[in-house]
Amino acid sequence: MTKKDDRPLRYNDDGNVHMDFHVATNTTIDFIIERFGMEAMDQIFERVGKDVYANLREHLMNGNSAELVKHWRHFFDRENAEYSIEITDDAIILIVNKCTAYEHVQKTAPKISKFFCDQTIKTNAALAEGTPFTIDTEITAPGSCRQIIRRRT
Amino acid sequence: MIPSDHFTRFYNEVFKFLEKQGEDALRAYWLEISRNQSMLTYDLFQQKGLEGMYEYWENIRIEENCDMDMDLREDRLELRMNVCPSLSKVMDNDAAPMGRYCDHCAGWIGPILDKLGYHLVYDVIDRQQPQCVMRIFKEKEAALEAEKHAKLLMRWHGKLED
Repeated sequence: MTKKDDRPLRYNDDGNVHMDFHVATNTTIDFIIERFGMEAMDQIFERVGKDVYANLREHLMNGNSAELVKHWRHFFDRENAEYSIEITDDAIILIVNKCTAYEHVQKTAPKISKFFCDQTIKTNAALAEGTPFTIDTEITAPGSCRQIIRRRT
Repeated sequence: MIPSDHFTRFYNEVFKFLEKQGEDALRAYWLEISRNQSMLTYDLFQQKGLEGMYEYWENIRIEENCDMDMDLREDRLELRMNVCPSLSKVMDNDAAPMGRYCDHCAGWIGPILDKLGYHLVYDVIDRQQPQCVMRIFKEKEAALEAEKHAKLLMRWHGKLED
């Protein structure tokens, strides 16, 4: 996983959390796909993965996946998700048993977009593109997934 | 998951994409967000009026970690955003900010207040500074008077269906 880095994350948010933002994300995904198509939504997630998360991507480029693991722990803790992270010889596996973003939208919005988890799948793919790593996202059940970082062979 | 902490940076990317599609696309999106937000606010605002609006934005102040002062009077509610966390995050960003990021706020709030019969005066002051003043009036005349003193008055387009 490479060396431990005690420096704070590039986006090291603290304070309170506003879960209703996930409801707006849900609305946005359906709006963009209905009006501009799936490719447009993918293009936006690509910009998030590559531009918004340029710092995380730079760590990956430099062969350091530890920063992404730190990012996962920080934000899944802040959102009170149920998750675990397994580190093996050839992979780092984030297992999300209860995604609180999904859960919040399900209980607040009239319907959850069938493409809601694309924010994770597509942003992860963009984040990893061109780095020594792949990040695969497998949806295992509604509100549950596995995100796997592997070094490219 | 894009963390809720990073929503505004995602929002900023959505705005940049839509701006390239044209003004109508942006306006349609803000109206869609207005519909989304009316689900969370409309009944409260309708039932409790300005007090309900105070209640909603007090919760926002806490959850979004805003540096904001509110002043509730009989005839109006004033929100003075000293440091807006939304624009602050968009500016503290490895991706470029959208130049008109602030416009979305009036874009979603305006149609809800129009539908309820209140009058919004949204003074963004300066789009590059994370501060603004929003005033909501019961009476149109008071709103028109307040508009005269705004530094950068933000308008909105679109109307929520009945």
